[in-house]
Amino acid sequence: MMEVIEEKKFDKINSPNSVGLVETKYYTFAYPPKKLVLDSGVEFGPITVSYETYGELNYKKDNGILVFHALSGDAHAAGYNKIDDPKPGWWDNMIGPQKPFDTNKYFVICANVLGGCKGTTGPSSINPETKKYYGLDFPEITINDMVKVQKELIDYLKIEKLFCVAGGSMGGMLALQWIKSYPEKAEAAIIIATTPEHSAQQIAFNSIGRYAIISDPNWNNGNYYCSGNKPTTGLSVARMIGHITYLSEEAMHKKFGREYINSLKKNFSNTNKLIIKPSEIEKPIENGLNQEKKANFKKEFEVENYLHYQSESFIKRFDPNSYLYITKAIDNFNISKGYNNLATALKNVKAKCLVISFSSDWLYPKEQSLKIVKALKINNIDTTYVNLLTPYGHDSFLIDDEKFKSVVKGFLQSIRRN
Amino acid sequence: MKKHKVISNWVKPYSKVLILGCGNGELLKFLQENNNVEAHGLDIDSEKVSEAISTGLSVIQGDINTDLIDYPDKSFDYIVAHDILQIMEKPDNVLKQIIRIADKSIISFPNFAYFLIRLSILFSGRMPKTKLLPYEWYDSPNIHLFTVKDFINFCSKQNFKIIDKFFTGLGRRKIPTYLLPNFFAEFAYFLISA
Repeated sequence: MMEVIEEKKFDKINSPNSVGLVETKYYTFAYPPKKLVLDSGVEFGPITVSYETYGELNYKKDNGILVFHALSGDAHAAGYNKIDDPKPGWWDNMIGPQKPFDTNKYFVICANVLGGCKGTTGPSSINPETKKYYGLDFPEITINDMVKVQKELIDYLKIEKLFCVAGGSMGGMLALQWIKSYPEKAEAAIIIATTPEHSAQQIAFNSIGRYAIISDPNWNNGNYYCSGNKPTTGLSVARMIGHITYLSEEAMHKKFGREYINSLKKNFSNTNKLIIKPSEIEKPIENGLNQEKKANFKKEFEVENYLHYQSESFIKRFDPNSYLYITKAIDNFNISKGYNNLATALKNVKAKCLVISFSSDWLYPKEQSLKIVKALKINNIDTTYVNLLTPYGHDSFLIDDEKFKSVVKGFLQSIRRN
Repeated sequence: MKKHKVISNWVKPYSKVLILGCGNGELLKFLQENNNVEAHGLDIDSEKVSEAISTGLSVIQGDINTDLIDYPDKSFDYIVAHDILQIMEKPDNVLKQIIRIADKSIISFPNFAYFLIRLSILFSGRMPKTKLLPYEWYDSPNIHLFTVKDFINFCSKQNFKIIDKFFTGLGRRKIPTYLLPNFFAEFAYFLISA
């Protein structure tokens, strides 16, 4: 039996469309005194970047595609780090042989962002000067700072000009920032389900998430790394709110409806046991019964179960302080800052652009993508845009969808090298 | 294919072209292959636009009625508005935008004064239905039908130059169509500029 399972695992990894087993690599730079100057003016270093690459960099070094992950993502975008990994990387449906980011043609790179918790320097890293965890000593960071760090990585990989940069959500902000900051460093960009500036509603959702974390007593002003008590309750509430905003009403309804856990039907004639009979009023309610009530308040519906499951897996892999720092960077994102308008801000952009929004995405609605499209059009930039009709909400870009894949594939085939 | 040929004959090779209402990009592909143009498109339909992008075309999903204002002056060598002007909310505004954005423009439309349409109204007393205008009166997208005369009149009022024209109608018998296009042309193509 075990052998069968093992074989299946190998099948998955050896599939002709998978990049197979991959290794996360690390690059460290900005050693003192040559620290990186952050947007805040703070000089920071050394910085380690964790990254993965798929496919081969060609002789001319002009087939590089840099993909940027979203808030909760990491450098592991495709394939498997270990044979027994249950799931592949976060964009495995997009990256691999014959897939839109075809690793037979392109050299795909993905790095964990600055401030992250999956190998790149962030608040959960150790400050080499104090030998302590950074915690809140970690400096304030911006989307532009994250881009600067990845530019160092691309320089280190000796890539003069990327073939394309691509990302969804926060990844889309990074892609947009890249083509603005480094107009000569990418032929094209794929900017998915994102915005040129975070809106009040988007900031509000992130702010509840942050509030949940800092209100958790275990957070302890960001010093929880040594106590062994992570502010997991706060982080899981943050994740649950986030997760609701990533899905559409339709997708949630289809997936869970009003179903109860274990298909336990809410039948009120069966809940008589919860109604206190007059004869029992004086007596304390049985402890077991109380427990059951508490459980019902916590998880009764399938959708609740799902949110709990999602948040429980999230708290195991994510650092609460990283969540605070990264959401702050996202909220502060406004690419037109310091310019009269968005069109002026994007004046120097040279990359051919594909902008994609999703009809069911209410967190990053199409109007925000259209602002980017409008500004690119005003600047006479070769622009392609589609609002794809998908039912999955903001998370649509992470879902294996044929139309989405063929749009990305078609766009990549149309890019000419200048 | 014939319509493609008429348009492609007017488009100079290696020029930059924007097709309004490009659908899944059939005409864009034709011009790309035959005239080596830098092809761009604008269309409102998500399904058709994603189909066009999937074949490697630069297409923007948008509304011609509202979205032309974003393009800078003279940002294209040609704009092609093939068989769409009569479905616009404000065809006059769209035409003015087209003239502003493109060096030259190709406008084509069904001529509502075509003699078979005239006869059809005269004898049946009902809204005409033809091969080119197959809709019922209540579900027609053609909300601003006009004639060859109307178009020429509008161009002269706006000081638009008519550089060339092409009519289809009575098969190969071209002479009556060109003598009296407003009567004999079923479909008209104009090459115009500011």
